[in-house]
Amino acid sequence: MSTNKTVSRPNAGLSANTTTAAPHTTGSRSPQGAGPARVKITSRPADRVFFGLSIGSAGLIIVILAAVALFLIIQAVPAITANWRTNANLSQGPTSGYADFWAYVGPLMWGTLWASAIALVIGAPIAIGIALFISHYAPRRVAGVLGYLIDLLAAVPSIVFGLWGIIVIRPLLLPLSAWLNHNLGWIPIFGGTASTTGSTILAGAVVLAVMILPIISSISREIFLQTPRLNEEAALALGATKWEMITLAVLPYARSGVVSATLLGLGRALGETMAIALIISPSIQVSWRILTEGENSQTIAANIALNFQVADGLQRQALIGTGLMLFVISLGVNMIARVIVVRTGPQATRKPKRKRVEPAASAATPASTAGVGRVDVSISDHHEGAQS
Amino acid sequence: MKFKNLAGASAIALTAVIALSSCAATTPTATPTPTAAAVVIDPTLKGIITAGGSSAQSNAQTAWTAAFVAQAAGVTINYDKSQGSGGGVTNWLAGSYDFAGSDSALSADNQTKSQANCGAGGALNLPTYLSGVAIVYNLPGVDLKLSSATLAKIFTLQITTWNDPAIAADNAGATLPATPITAVTRSDGSGTTANFTSYLSQVQPTIFTQTVGSKWPVAGTSGQQGGSGVVNTVKAGVGAIGYADHSSIGTLTAAAVQVGTSKDFVAYSPDGATNAFDIAAVAAPTTAGDLTKKIDYTKITDKASYAIPLLSYQILCTTFKDPAQAKLAKAYIGFIGSDIGQKVAAKNAGSAPIPASILADIQKSLALVK
Repeated sequence: MSTNKTVSRPNAGLSANTTTAAPHTTGSRSPQGAGPARVKITSRPADRVFFGLSIGSAGLIIVILAAVALFLIIQAVPAITANWRTNANLSQGPTSGYADFWAYVGPLMWGTLWASAIALVIGAPIAIGIALFISHYAPRRVAGVLGYLIDLLAAVPSIVFGLWGIIVIRPLLLPLSAWLNHNLGWIPIFGGTASTTGSTILAGAVVLAVMILPIISSISREIFLQTPRLNEEAALALGATKWEMITLAVLPYARSGVVSATLLGLGRALGETMAIALIISPSIQVSWRILTEGENSQTIAANIALNFQVADGLQRQALIGTGLMLFVISLGVNMIARVIVVRTGPQATRKPKRKRVEPAASAATPASTAGVGRVDVSISDHHEGAQS
Repeated sequence: MKFKNLAGASAIALTAVIALSSCAATTPTATPTPTAAAVVIDPTLKGIITAGGSSAQSNAQTAWTAAFVAQAAGVTINYDKSQGSGGGVTNWLAGSYDFAGSDSALSADNQTKSQANCGAGGALNLPTYLSGVAIVYNLPGVDLKLSSATLAKIFTLQITTWNDPAIAADNAGATLPATPITAVTRSDGSGTTANFTSYLSQVQPTIFTQTVGSKWPVAGTSGQQGGSGVVNTVKAGVGAIGYADHSSIGTLTAAAVQVGTSKDFVAYSPDGATNAFDIAAVAAPTTAGDLTKKIDYTKITDKASYAIPLLSYQILCTTFKDPAQAKLAKAYIGFIGSDIGQKVAAKNAGSAPIPASILADIQKSLALVK
């Protein structure tokens, strides 16, 4: 990025008019009226201030991220390197009974991924279904209201979800889990002694699934809306039904975007703390079971929330060490999301094509103008989303 | 408020806090049943007390703060209960708190560390909050009685149904269903767990062989966050049984627990907890003036006592860096450790009063603080 931008001539003329009143402008710019040649303009104070602010904001993100990582590493190292069996502090309290840091954090990492995976399996299909309904099935007015409601779901504090989970979801799931345990108990994940209080990882994952709905569905919705109108119309013209049109034109086009939306949802699920801490009866172990009281794998974030208050000294640092591992997992998920988007993303090849096509589409079918307009807006949205 | 008149009445001759402390110190020798003298709060005190720690104490701390500030309007007291006992001690050791509320006395290690801020005299652990660990259960129509052995077996998952012969033996005549038992425990680290596990391991060392501490050690129970989490879960699940600070159990019924090896089953009452503390507390001072008490649960055999008392401390330096803060902290903790302070907590937070002899000791110890 540079302060000296080359712009096309009309703009240069405009800026020349204004800069004549600003004598402090330095003179590396081409003389006025230099004909069709491209004109270089120098920045004025407002430009420089704005540039400084924006680069400052961008830099701040990196500084904050680095500061958080540094804090986690500095705090965690003493606990990671300590001998957990002989250390007077680590052999008591929340960290007692583990050979070393890895024996402690391993099951927690499993629990974090397991709970999030269940939440994704439940939540992602529903979120994508909602997005498809809003973008392709619902009447415009209904779509608007529904989209607004889904976004509102993102504003509910997680402690509220936690209480809702305890009071509503736990008892609601009891008959289902009893049935699953009784009839499908031979499948390992439904095995074990079924919970009588509903304090299971399943209940936690159901609430998590609701919490990640708004993220996945709102991003997916925008991507579905970007599907080139011509592709859809072509599919319909070839005799495809609405469902076939969606599978032929919409889903392949949106695939990478939906994958990255899902992984963003996964990122939310990985870090969720309060709802999990409130709902699940945890135990630090590697367990597949989702219907039991005492065999629910614990997540990193909930474990920190539950034990930080009584931990002191190295115990606290051990908990911060588990936080470092969560940081690493989240970073990994985001990187995988980017790799998937880059590898499978059709955008790079499709975008220019679509740009050439769109004016023709709007000219040919006036009825679809509004749709195209929407597409234009959401292209940039999507790219920001995909790159973040 | 009632205590205002009490305090005002005895305020005539005494104004200085130091004078008060020495007065309290002499009281026990003067009367056979020592009543800690009504502590007068100096209304001219000004400043900010910063403290935090135990969440079990939070209701009591709120009541104490309100009562204290009503007398000394120039004082602001910030007690941060979100820290929990461990966090309170950590912050206090770092020098950011004037005192810490903690469900366990300082470890030997932390007592040594405290000398960095407190000088050679180290720190004082003053027992100021007493309650009981209640055994709450959800079994409609049954007035549950539990022997210590049955209790230990239930919480170590050796007894899994309510119609187990051991439970039937404790509850002669009661109709017990075949419902499975769900043992509900704390998933977060907690002073209640520390008290309850040390009770189980002392009274039934052959049944409860797990580690004593703030983390519940038996895998396979239903772990819930906070005392309220345990209470809510027991409330919601028929066949559930859990433990919680008695002041937080709400409408649930608590089981009567066997005292010692006798045939007596005693339900919780504040007086029962006070009696138990009186009998079972063994002084284990770590430094001059320290009032650390080890509770020997095996000594609680009297049927006027509740079997599982729950104790919490205020921890402060013997020598403050700033004498003005020392004065403030002494005044506040002096009030907490007074007869009136204990009554305020009993009324507002449902705690049990600390025995008068200990209150007198607290005032003596506070006199050492500079």
